[in-house]
Amino acid sequence: MESLKAIMASVLGIKQEKLNDNFSRDNSEEWDSFNHLMLMSEIEKKTGIKFTIKEIESIKSFKNLKDTFEKKAKAK
Amino acid sequence: MKRIIKIIKEKKPKSMPDYINLSEHLNSEIKKGRIKGKGLKIAFLSSFTSNGFKESIFVKCCEAGIIPDIYIGGYNQYSQEILDDSGDLYKFKPNLVILFIDTKSILQDYFLNPYSFPIGKRKAYINSKFDEIKILIEKLKKKTSAKIVVHNFEVPVYSPMGILENRQDFGLKESVEKLNASLRDFCRNNPRVFLFDYESFCSKIGKDNTTDFKMYYMGDIKLSMHSIIRLCSDYMGYIKPLMSLTKKCIVLDLDNTLWGGIIGEDGIKGIKIGNTPEGRPFMEFQKALLAMFERGVILAISSKNNFNDVVEVFKKHPDMVLRENNFASMRINWNDKVSNIIEIAKELNIGLDSIVFIDDDKLNRDLVRKRLPEVNVVDLPEDPSLYLKTLMEINDFNSFSITDEDLKKGKIYAEQRKRTELQSSSKDINSYLKRLGSIVTIEKANDFSVPRISQLTQKTNQFNMTTKRYLEEDIKKMSNDKNLMVVSIRSKDKFGDNGIVGAAIIKKCPDEWEIDTFLLSCRVIGRKIEESMLWSIMKDAKSRKAKMLKALFIPTKKNEVAKDFYKNNGFVLKERKNGAEMWQYNLSKKYSAPNFIKVIEK
Repeated sequence: MESLKAIMASVLGIKQEKLNDNFSRDNSEEWDSFNHLMLMSEIEKKTGIKFTIKEIESIKSFKNLKDTFEKKAKAK
Repeated sequence: MKRIIKIIKEKKPKSMPDYINLSEHLNSEIKKGRIKGKGLKIAFLSSFTSNGFKESIFVKCCEAGIIPDIYIGGYNQYSQEILDDSGDLYKFKPNLVILFIDTKSILQDYFLNPYSFPIGKRKAYINSKFDEIKILIEKLKKKTSAKIVVHNFEVPVYSPMGILENRQDFGLKESVEKLNASLRDFCRNNPRVFLFDYESFCSKIGKDNTTDFKMYYMGDIKLSMHSIIRLCSDYMGYIKPLMSLTKKCIVLDLDNTLWGGIIGEDGIKGIKIGNTPEGRPFMEFQKALLAMFERGVILAISSKNNFNDVVEVFKKHPDMVLRENNFASMRINWNDKVSNIIEIAKELNIGLDSIVFIDDDKLNRDLVRKRLPEVNVVDLPEDPSLYLKTLMEINDFNSFSITDEDLKKGKIYAEQRKRTELQSSSKDINSYLKRLGSIVTIEKANDFSVPRISQLTQKTNQFNMTTKRYLEEDIKKMSNDKNLMVVSIRSKDKFGDNGIVGAAIIKKCPDEWEIDTFLLSCRVIGRKIEESMLWSIMKDAKSRKAKMLKALFIPTKKNEVAKDFYKNNGFVLKERKNGAEMWQYNLSKKYSAPNFIKVIEK
């Protein structure tokens, strides 16, 4: 399975090294609302984990994303 | 072109992020001047969020050798943009406009609760929606010279009436079907407007899969990213013919392509074709190819085999659908595929870029792809049960209009093979032409010939003296102009009827006539038909007391073959300006047409 980092880097068109816990929608130009939707849809497609609208709305940073993803992966 | 194909092959884009990244990469290559292609201005207007469309269309176009300039309308702004006379849309001057309004946007509340409207209101509502679209299209027609591609509407699969939906008078589904039918009729009568059958597109990919509901609710994105990519692939069916990138010919392999097994090893009784589980995929594949042949696609064979083994199959196998007379060229020998394809192109006098190649052997495909990047190499799946589906997905043979000549093209080229045989058995060109027994009919343009004349001006590159392109509307207008003469030329010989193969447009001034357009389809070049056509024009000019016939020649990369035509026929060069040559012929000089061609003037 591709890592979250790899998926995210490819969707946003950035280097993986840029992705740390502080990386957020507020401080990144690439992570705009359309890319956010595309990112979620790519993660769903590649990992089989499905997010709800509420979760998608609440994810604001790379840390949020990791936490939400891990929680869902565990519950699965 | 090679570079683009290489880049796209390397990156193999699949998901939307791939397309977006690749589109950026291609753009930077273009800016650096590293790749070039034909330009095209496409405007895309939609009733919902259109992210992803630009990049997908861009990559698909590049793949076909087109570098498009794409205008994406504002979010749900299609009406305003179309109605705004001085807006950006019209400043952009598109060559192609795609209008995509989805069912939910056009129907609004009617979509989820249609039966809150009484029947009379339902009908009036749907009529008013159709009128809205019609006004927009009429406006686009008036304000642009673009081809207009308009989506029809996805018929909903859900109804609040459930299983009783079909008992409703003018129910939800029927009302969308009615809207689609009205739109279809409207497009049928508008030569510049084309229907994009979005309803069929949705059925094809599955209506359950078209929408990603999360994307829809969060971003008003009506199609899933995957569907957008497939939709843009289907748009290419309209874009390619607009750029004259229409393919003409399918070159086919035989063993394990047209039939199962290897004729050289399995023999005529061992190969698989016919009504058995193993033979059926090949039989249906051949039937679909035959239907394409009958619509005008040229078929040819390139196969490593013994000629006689193959001919026996075509002649004697009871279950073969395709027969020898369906093929315009049969290269059955032990040469490699690349040289055979080059030979076929030469023999048929078509460009390599008009060829689609179908072969089950991956090595052959890779070789052709590498050496002849202009050829469209189809990735035939390993399993023959998928051959038919693969063939049906090829959208390379579309054209915006279909003339009688197009329909007969496959047959005409197959007859050409017999002419070539006659030519090689004749001692010289004149004796060949005599034995061919050509009859040409020269006729003033009429309602039946106008579409074909326009098409010839659009497509003819080689024997075309001025390469002026005219739309059907132009030809019609010119044929009604007293000061102009538009003629078509039809040719026939002992092997068959070629249909209309040439055209000329002449400006008639009292003393001198001037040839504006003079062209001949490449498949009849070299039969002196052009001389008969010239003779007929001169005769007309003389009978109307003209003294001089002037003729313009504009050289292009492709019309080398026509370069010396006026010189060889007694014209004198009068003037050369920016490469264009003005020739003239003093009509007091006698001109005689070739005596082995019978000319009928109508």
